[in-house]
Amino acid sequence: MRGSRIFLGIAVLLILIAGGALYVALKPEGRTSITLTFHAKMGKTPLVFDEFVYENPGGTGTFRVRDFRFYLSNLTLSEESASFAQPDSYHLLRFDNPDTSHSIVLNDVPLGTIDHVRFLIGVDPDANGSIEVRGDLDPNSQMAWNWEVGYKFVVLEGALRVGEDVSPLVYHVGFSENAREVAFALPPGVSADDDTEVHLTVDLAKLFDGPVQIDMEAMSSVKFNRADAKMLADNYATMIDPAF
Amino acid sequence: MLRVFLTITAAALIAAAWIIWDRTRGPVSTPIADFSAPFIFGRFAVPPDNPLTEEAFSLGRHLFYDPILSGNNQVACASCHVQALAFTDGLAKSPSLSGGELGFSSMSLANLLWGQERFFWDGRAASLEEQALLPIQHPDEMDQDLDALIGELQTSRAYRKMFRRAYGEVSADNIARALSTFMRMLISSDSKYDKYLRGEERLTAQEEHGRKLFMAHPDTKVSLRGGNCIDCHSQFLTSGFRDALDGFSNNGLDSDEDLPDGLMAVTGNPAHKGFFKVPTLRNIAVTAPYMHDGRFETLEDVMDHYNDGIVVSDTLSPLILEADNAPQAGQQTVGLRMTPEEIDAIIAFLHTLTDDAFLTNPQFSDPFEGGT
Repeated sequence: MRGSRIFLGIAVLLILIAGGALYVALKPEGRTSITLTFHAKMGKTPLVFDEFVYENPGGTGTFRVRDFRFYLSNLTLSEESASFAQPDSYHLLRFDNPDTSHSIVLNDVPLGTIDHVRFLIGVDPDANGSIEVRGDLDPNSQMAWNWEVGYKFVVLEGALRVGEDVSPLVYHVGFSENAREVAFALPPGVSADDDTEVHLTVDLAKLFDGPVQIDMEAMSSVKFNRADAKMLADNYATMIDPAF
Repeated sequence: MLRVFLTITAAALIAAAWIIWDRTRGPVSTPIADFSAPFIFGRFAVPPDNPLTEEAFSLGRHLFYDPILSGNNQVACASCHVQALAFTDGLAKSPSLSGGELGFSSMSLANLLWGQERFFWDGRAASLEEQALLPIQHPDEMDQDLDALIGELQTSRAYRKMFRRAYGEVSADNIARALSTFMRMLISSDSKYDKYLRGEERLTAQEEHGRKLFMAHPDTKVSLRGGNCIDCHSQFLTSGFRDALDGFSNNGLDSDEDLPDGLMAVTGNPAHKGFFKVPTLRNIAVTAPYMHDGRFETLEDVMDHYNDGIVVSDTLSPLILEADNAPQAGQQTVGLRMTPEEIDAIIAFLHTLTDDAFLTNPQFSDPFEGGT
């Protein structure tokens, strides 16, 4: 009787120790939150919608932007030894608001500090070939071409005015090969904070004025031609920059 | 004698208690459990303060079909929303109480759980609950004072009971909630197109050709021909888009001089002038005439409009202006420039969106006509 009571006591003690050890082992090292705010710009100044105020970078005339939006996916945050990939990380960034900005907020990131940020402009091939609703992916949305083609990654629509003539501009860039990775390190001053705020600029001008300079009059639309789409993708690969 | 008296008293007390309990207890909510929502329709949201219940649906269905909702007790919601016509009325513009006609065509009511979250052609209502009370009070539509309506409903024992079971009291908010629940449950998901998507039926060669054209924005650079429908009508729902104001568009009906305000009247944004709600194409073959003002009588007329009848205005969708199947520059007309065979194929596909089960579903019918 006495022996079994001692045995029970030891068992309880062991369970407590094991539980404590497990708790210590599995307890996240730290929790931090991060806000990524993307600011749409044309060059250095905030984007203005619906006004003919921008020069055709590769030709004559002025253009206006009616719609600009893109998918950002597979957001991954990391510190030296660990990384955190946001689950169902599909964000539609649109800028039709007074600040022409879009924020992504991640709370409870299981990392002590955040040193690196990485994401795709566009959608990964797996999700691009699926009709599942995940994050901001929606097969019944304006960003879906159709289930056989996948999603538009970057959309810019507007009009070009040359003299008296106004003609439509339609740039819809998709296809899995045109997802482009963006990665950058956070300077120590930014990552030290427990509630990290990062501002990024999205420069639309880079879409037409990057490795390739585009005359909107000669190329007023990009849709399913893969060479044209790749050209724009190589341009938009550099449109996002952190602003520290 | 005393025993009999006591028994009667006890019985009376029990009966009284039961009646009081029945009158004062909270609503009986039976969640609607067995409705089918195809996953390809995507996410939907029901307001937290108006869950889908059998009691609310039943009340909403009675209200929808009851002319008691109008000032003269002659016009019901169902007067302009007829089930056999996918809840439209077959008229270009619905009749006005004052004898003329209203400014707009009666909209089909199907799959309202999905698609745009703004209602009416110009999007002036931000929820179904907000929408439901407006035609009731509109002087040209049903011309009813809400307090008078509540008074009338309270004189009816049947309505008092239905309201009590569904929500509690008879109130304007609860009228709106019940009508909204009925409308939310008007789900059309059994057309030939749905059966094709579920792998239960095949499309004919012509319908399949039409489906492909429906789903494609034309690109002459890669010889892709398209009817461009999907740029405004989503691939599965065939309605306008849900996100923000994406489900509103200017589809080239009028010139700048004649362009009505449309969505601009609601947002105040000049970029929205002439924007109207993109309607669902579900059951489109039975909802003629077409457009917000019913100006086109047939689907052929609609296709002719998109093929070579587009009227250019400043806010016209660039996707419509840019979409052209002919490689050489346009002549005088603006449009898709498809062949007659392609137009016929798209119309054949549109007919696969007719859902006879929806148009005849007894659960959506007039409950005052011997239905259940």
